Amino acid sequence: MSDPASGEAGTPGEADSNTDSSADASADASADASADANTLADAQAKIFACDDVDALKAVEREFVGKQGVVAQLLASISKLPPEQRRGVGQQANALKQGVQEAVQNRQQTLAEARVAADRQGEGFDASLPPPRPRRGSLHPLTQVTRELEDLFQSMGYTVLDGPEIETDYYNFEALNIHADHPARDSHDTFFCEGDGHLVMRTHTSPVQIRALETLKPPLRVVVPGKVFRHESTDASHDHTFHQMEGLVVDRDISVAHLVGAMKTLLRGIFDRDLEVRLRPGYFPFVEPGFELDARCPFCQEGCRVCKRTRWIELLPCGLVHPNVLRAGGLDPDEWGGFAFGLGLSRLVMLRHNIDDVRHLLGGDVRFLEQF
Amino acid sequence: MYVSYRWLGRHIDLEGLSPEQLCEDLTLSTAEVEGMEKFAPHLADVCVGLVKQRVPHPDADKLSVCTVDVGQEETLTIVCGAPNVAAGQKVAVATVGTVLPGDFKIKKSKIRGVPSQGMICSVRELEIGDDHDGIWVLAEDSEIGAPVADALDLNDWVIEIDNKSLTHRPDLWGHRGIATELAAIYHRPLKAISFDWPEWGDGAPYPIRIDTPACPRYLGLPIDGAKATPSPDWLRWLLLAVGQRPIDCLVDLSNFVMLDLGQPNHTFDRHSLDPEGISVRMAREGEGMRTLDGEERVLQPSDLLICSGDAPVALAGIMGGESSKVGDKTDALLLEVATFAPAIVRRTSNRLGLRTDASARFEKSLDPTLPERAAAHFARLLAEIQPDVRFPAPPTDVGEWTDPAHTLTLRPDRVRQELGKAIDDEEITAILERLGFGVEAQADGYAVAVPSARSTKDVHLDRDLVEEIGRIHRYGNIEEKTMLAQVAPPPKDPRRNLVRAIQDQLAGSARFHETISYSFVDDGLLEKLGMLDLPHVRIVNPVAQSENKIRRTVIPSLLSGIETNRRLLEDVRLFEVGKGYLPNPDDPNKQPRELHLAGLVWATAPRGPEARFDAHTFNQLQGLTTDLLDRLGVIEVQWRPAAPPPPWAHPAKALEAVAGQDAERLAVVAELDPGFHAALGLSGEQTSEVAIAEISLDAILIAPLRGGRYSPLARYPGIKLDVAVALPDHAAAATVREAIEKAGKGSVADAELFDLYRGESVGAGRKSLAYHVTLQSDKKTLTEKDEQKFLKRFEALVGELGGELRNG
Repeated sequence: MSDPASGEAGTPGEADSNTDSSADASADASADASADANTLADAQAKIFACDDVDALKAVEREFVGKQGVVAQLLASISKLPPEQRRGVGQQANALKQGVQEAVQNRQQTLAEARVAADRQGEGFDASLPPPRPRRGSLHPLTQVTRELEDLFQSMGYTVLDGPEIETDYYNFEALNIHADHPARDSHDTFFCEGDGHLVMRTHTSPVQIRALETLKPPLRVVVPGKVFRHESTDASHDHTFHQMEGLVVDRDISVAHLVGAMKTLLRGIFDRDLEVRLRPGYFPFVEPGFELDARCPFCQEGCRVCKRTRWIELLPCGLVHPNVLRAGGLDPDEWGGFAFGLGLSRLVMLRHNIDDVRHLLGGDVRFLEQF
Repeated sequence: MYVSYRWLGRHIDLEGLSPEQLCEDLTLSTAEVEGMEKFAPHLADVCVGLVKQRVPHPDADKLSVCTVDVGQEETLTIVCGAPNVAAGQKVAVATVGTVLPGDFKIKKSKIRGVPSQGMICSVRELEIGDDHDGIWVLAEDSEIGAPVADALDLNDWVIEIDNKSLTHRPDLWGHRGIATELAAIYHRPLKAISFDWPEWGDGAPYPIRIDTPACPRYLGLPIDGAKATPSPDWLRWLLLAVGQRPIDCLVDLSNFVMLDLGQPNHTFDRHSLDPEGISVRMAREGEGMRTLDGEERVLQPSDLLICSGDAPVALAGIMGGESSKVGDKTDALLLEVATFAPAIVRRTSNRLGLRTDASARFEKSLDPTLPERAAAHFARLLAEIQPDVRFPAPPTDVGEWTDPAHTLTLRPDRVRQELGKAIDDEEITAILERLGFGVEAQADGYAVAVPSARSTKDVHLDRDLVEEIGRIHRYGNIEEKTMLAQVAPPPKDPRRNLVRAIQDQLAGSARFHETISYSFVDDGLLEKLGMLDLPHVRIVNPVAQSENKIRRTVIPSLLSGIETNRRLLEDVRLFEVGKGYLPNPDDPNKQPRELHLAGLVWATAPRGPEARFDAHTFNQLQGLTTDLLDRLGVIEVQWRPAAPPPPWAHPAKALEAVAGQDAERLAVVAELDPGFHAALGLSGEQTSEVAIAEISLDAILIAPLRGGRYSPLARYPGIKLDVAVALPDHAAAATVREAIEKAGKGSVADAELFDLYRGESVGAGRKSLAYHVTLQSDKKTLTEKDEQKFLKRFEALVGELGGELRNG
């Protein structure tokens, strides 16, 4: 730590320079004084050598602590001749000051070094998996339904609900599908026990009539919900699935308005403009009725989803049949409208590339937790 | 429905129109084409060969070795097993490398030592018939070496049209109807067909009597000398193309006329009919008959019958009877071409589950003017094929039918307004005329004469004409327009908001997975839960007999979800927001009561003895439900024993939440009845703690809700202290809580139970309850003295409960 060479070299020099009359005392004093200068250098060296705060504290104690060098020096003053006391006192203070300053500087340096070392990020494993809060999940049908509800609400549509068990009147009769109408075949109806006029609704369209009965035109409504068809189930058919019905009633509604509204809707769903085509489709409650196909959003040259046709059948729609308006209490010469249906289950399957519709109502957590 | 491209060519010139083009245009203007296929594509892969020589196989009696010229330099040697192969025949040859139906690839081979360089095919091997008795012998003038499809002019395409899109178009159930559409689309004329009757004799008309309005028209034509011979090739090929198996020329012609004009028809063996002739009547109760398919049918008075004398010989419009079947030896026929009431045919065919090509057409409302043309068509074609047939008498044509043709007024402005496009009058009238409508200008637009074929079902309103114009003009040519309407914000929807709030809360930190399940609920499941005998709305025609009930609540399906998932997961939490239905107790025909419900189930492996006292799924679920109700803003919620507990609930561990004494039940939380665990597969390795909550959205929507007011923050600091009491096991925690409140005299800001302990240190039959208590005043800072006063009062109150304070 201390440099022996400088100590040896220093002592004679100090002695040489000493001109005091009392050899002993002057020798003592000069020895103390020189020891004092050496002590500061010694302390500074020790301080500089400290690599951590604890070592630094120890060195600080050694020099300026209660039993430290400075304290001893001050304690020795009383034994000195009065003329020397002042000098020694000054030296002690200087030493104290010097040590404290050095400690402070060293502390600063160590703190900075610690930050610098910290910033090296040693031992940090970027690949360590973080603990995650666990959560539940919203059914994908709920998610798509909400998205569409919000989209439609932003366009001024009211979201309505309707019963899953319907009367023959609302499900068929008022929608221009009379008893013995062959269109009833494609509805594969579940009938409730009784006199046969209660059915599991085969579509969300009955709420068209309920809306016309309860709301005043002009009106815009959508109706999400569960519907039932007596079909054998397989990967792409289930006897229970979800639809969203839409109905707009206003004055002077035309096919051109329907096309515009459907394009806007598809833009909202797929976040881009899809080429669409409108072709004849038959649904007794609209006239004319259409199937609206959109360019397959999943391929350029034909894929499994579009069955290689590059078109996907997305939206059955049409101008509301005058008989339906009449059933809802409106004069078809005064009011017109259009209606459309969206297959929610189908949209969910398209969106998530789900290959088996039965997963939707299957209740398997391994499926549900993915959403 | 299947449509043959070549068949359409009999009605309209298809020059320059590819089958693909046809499909596209039919889809865009008329009806959805579901697919198109080349007919018998392998006919293009086999070629015409001439058998030059046939010698017996040296080593096999039944085989012969043929030398066949297929138009190449070298003749081929082919070993053939067919008995009918002979030198001089033109045959269909599959050469080496050809792939036949069933992925059968022809290879060079050796058959019993003789090399064979191909195969002479039978019709069955080419999938164009059933005959496998011998090879297919082609017409003598077939060109050697040419593909069979070309040599026989059999290049055809089969177009499948979606029947659903033809529901309203009885006119499109035959090739001529489709051709009429093509004529309008392509501006081409329809080829003329003669519907003139062949000559008939002056015999007495066949006696036919109609006794019911369900048969508006019945036309019967007697035919003599007709033979059930094989049909000519042209007829066989067209029927094969659309998937009809050729039988004999009488059956085939009947089918042909139906598929050509859309009019079903039927032939009877006149010898087997009663001399009194045909009568058409409704069936009598208990009557029966055997139909052509061999089935014995029990009839009802709503069924329409064709009778011979009084004996049923056909289910009108659906299927003939076995007794009057035309056999090989029949030569005296009666051709029936009739119109039947569509609803009658439809009901009978639905009831008997007997759907035929004929019933599908009759139920669509056929044009009553069509039978005459269809009968003439049949007669002319038969006379062409069998020149010896005779028609001994004029047709008998009876019935009270009227021509449905009618006239509509069309205002062209209405067309333009409803389509949203300025289509000029000239185009409007041209389109209608091309479709066979008559158009005449009148003061307020046009008088449009709707042809009979379009008048029965489809075209009744001017809106129907708008569709005709729109689809032929092409909807794709109508540009989109934006609606200009005032839009007001839709009214608030409290129930939808409530559903969303519940879903978000549960699917978030509560860690529940949302399910959506079927409304049909399985009997087995209901039985396991003791719910089978509750009144349910029932389905007459369920998918499976055990699933004939509509759920009253979402709980059973959630529990079956637990059963499914517990095998895989230690901790299963499921919820569903959905509807339940209770049948109307007064009248099952009235709409049932609809309940809006949220159900939660939570199952885990049983908590061990070291678990915290409130770690059980039941406690957790009650806490969650309490928090949920609080978040939904419901105030004054109280829990009390559920009375009565739901059927699936543990009879004792079932609580209900109400807001107000007589208010509707907001929620029930319960443990699953332990008696049901085993049946649900939740015993043994899957032994579980299962807690269930059922929340009524309907009750929440009418419950008192918290206003939006905030509570001022406390101005003085409170004192926090812990108290523990030991007391008899039967004492309810609520009594301790009450004691704390009472001892605090209004200064208890909070008291939270944080420990419940039973063990040696409190003694047998006793338990210890420990609370964090916060005392606070809004008037002053409470001091040590206040705390001491509280403890003193509390100690006394606890003493009254038979307990004592455990901390000094």
